[in-house]
Amino acid sequence: MARLNWLQLNAGFRRLGALALVMFGITCALPAQALPLFARQTGMACLACHTVYPELTHFGRMFKLNGYQLDNGKDLQMITDEGKQILALPAIPNLALFVMTSYTQLGKALPDGSIPGARSLKDGGFQFPQQVSLLWGGKIAPHFGAFAQVTYDDASDTFNIDNTDLRFADVVVLPNKTPLTYGMSINNNPTVEDPWNTTPAFGFPYVPPEIFVPSLASPLINAGTAYQVAGPVFYALWNEQAYAAFGVYHYARNGDNSPGNPITGGPAPLDSATGYGGFPQVAANWNPYWRLAYEYDYDRYTFMLGTYGSYFKLSPGGAIGAPLQGATNNYTDIAEDFQIQFIGEKNTATFKGTYVKEAQALNAYAAAGVSNNTDWLSYLSTDFTYWYMRRYGFTVGYLSTQGSTDPLQYPSAPTTLATSTGSPYPVGVTNSAVSNPGTSAYVGELLWAPWLNVKIDLQYISYTKFNGGKDNYDGCAGVCASGGRNASNNNTLYLLMWFAL
Amino acid sequence: MKSTKIKMTVLAAAASVAMSWLSAPVASAQDAAAAPEVAPADRDWAEYKAITTCAWCHGPQGRSISPIYPALAGQKAWYILEQLQAFKAQTRRDPYAMGMMWGMAAQLTETQMIALADYFSKQSPPFASKPSPFSGSKAAAAIQVGRGIYNDGIAAKGVPPCSACHQADAAGNDQFPRLAGQHALYTQKQLIALHGGSREQVVMNGVAAPLERPDMNAVALYLESLH
Repeated sequence: MARLNWLQLNAGFRRLGALALVMFGITCALPAQALPLFARQTGMACLACHTVYPELTHFGRMFKLNGYQLDNGKDLQMITDEGKQILALPAIPNLALFVMTSYTQLGKALPDGSIPGARSLKDGGFQFPQQVSLLWGGKIAPHFGAFAQVTYDDASDTFNIDNTDLRFADVVVLPNKTPLTYGMSINNNPTVEDPWNTTPAFGFPYVPPEIFVPSLASPLINAGTAYQVAGPVFYALWNEQAYAAFGVYHYARNGDNSPGNPITGGPAPLDSATGYGGFPQVAANWNPYWRLAYEYDYDRYTFMLGTYGSYFKLSPGGAIGAPLQGATNNYTDIAEDFQIQFIGEKNTATFKGTYVKEAQALNAYAAAGVSNNTDWLSYLSTDFTYWYMRRYGFTVGYLSTQGSTDPLQYPSAPTTLATSTGSPYPVGVTNSAVSNPGTSAYVGELLWAPWLNVKIDLQYISYTKFNGGKDNYDGCAGVCASGGRNASNNNTLYLLMWFAL
Repeated sequence: MKSTKIKMTVLAAAASVAMSWLSAPVASAQDAAAAPEVAPADRDWAEYKAITTCAWCHGPQGRSISPIYPALAGQKAWYILEQLQAFKAQTRRDPYAMGMMWGMAAQLTETQMIALADYFSKQSPPFASKPSPFSGSKAAAAIQVGRGIYNDGIAAKGVPPCSACHQADAAGNDQFPRLAGQHALYTQKQLIALHGGSREQVVMNGVAAPLERPDMNAVALYLESLH
């Protein structure tokens, strides 16, 4: 969620960050949501749509795919003289808030200034608030609904457009009495339209710590273009079982404060000799995204198998000071995912996972001499969560990013920062001595939801490998400020309190 | 859909005006069972709603997949109507009724409730019930115990035979709801709610009061095995 300010970094680090669009590392995932406004609109308790928020139940998935428009409240209405209804607006305001606050402790203090956004917090800190979100959406009109979020984020100290899903949906009954739901979601982050919690936009880990050491790389579909694109995704769901979606995404500014078009002053990025501000790379033209999934329900179980992917062409622009034209870096992501969900009276349990394989054809970077011609990344996320009475729960999870070794894309030299005197200051921490992005971690959570809309999460992240190594992964031992950082030094203890109201 | 909705609003309005003018009492559930007059447009609306919304929990044609949610197929129309009225009036207070059905029923008109009740009552009742593969061989023994309780009651606890009211085949009638084929988990949950009083039903509160958990479990499994 945090948007780091790349402009503050020196050129070398900036390029490195740029290449890894998602510098937020393997813990990157966007906050996912449960909306009290939906509860108010439907008159139903959270447990209709969620096991415990944000994880969706079958009912929640149906609510989402039907456009958030199930409405059991009173409507303001208007009809024409011909009796045609032209307004059916929920009488209550469709608003809700999220408030999150957290405390984070890193395994070992960081050298001064080695992580953008860490400020003076050398070994962690209190995020107060970590995030405050204003949510709006629900039923706009029959067949039109929304799920949208404007977030104040402590790490970046900005308000920004968060996951936003504007929908049209309808359902027809086929001659054999099975329902076919179809619709369109215009959204700003690939997989936002998806109703399972295995895909990146609403996947595990739901709300990762914001104070952490970013690993070098993550596949682009893991929020790599979040809030930098928008596009329509068309979808259909047959008989509450078979789901297919196809969409295309275009660059979209999403309110980012980066410089606009230098000629018109407008928001669209055009060629610029100095590259394009805050975003290291910019989506070129339209980029396809697709999704297929099948859910089978049996007794209290639901089983889901799916696949999804995207093909994005990115103009490197500011990342290498190039104009936004010519060769592009092309990212092909293909993923598989599964979910087994058990919802009983007292016990709920979910086992789920996703595996992403990304092929990178780095035409622009390779031409500029800053990467191999091709690279690859893989990402595995799997977790098991159990809740008792929807009050007490735990999660065990495993996250792993692997990738090709690329001394140009992931320079082995210690990360340096500019100092006030202008001389580079080697700090390490975020580089890889072996030029490899491989990073793996176990995640454990103890969960407590004293009320359906209050959740407390104590999380521990334990790294077995970081940026290609275990000990001295940044090669800084005896060389620079970090003194040779070990993967375990990045272990994170994180206590999060999440209100939804 | 819209025109149907409007028509129904008009119908409902006309009906309520007529009734208040005549000072006639609102049709009772039993009357509805006796004469389920559902206009074709309302029938279409109910079928559409049942397939496109109710089915999220209550399954295709009211044959729910998850036992948390009751099967509605083949249930007596008067009983479904009575429950919908109780959800809307917020007088049925067991947990899922409160968490889910209070909302779902909040804006339903009497006409809509009658149409939905009529639709579900006309679907073929659920399944030749399969003992859940997760319940194991204990279930078979419990079913036998449950059959005894259902047919003969528990004399020592003063529990009357269920079959006396719900019929030998548990198919229900104009006064007592169908129980046959219902998910065991759901039946058990209702017995717990009736036992503890969170679901108020004067006769069943009394009947369920002396029941213990194993009794409830056994009866529920037996009823699930009927079809």
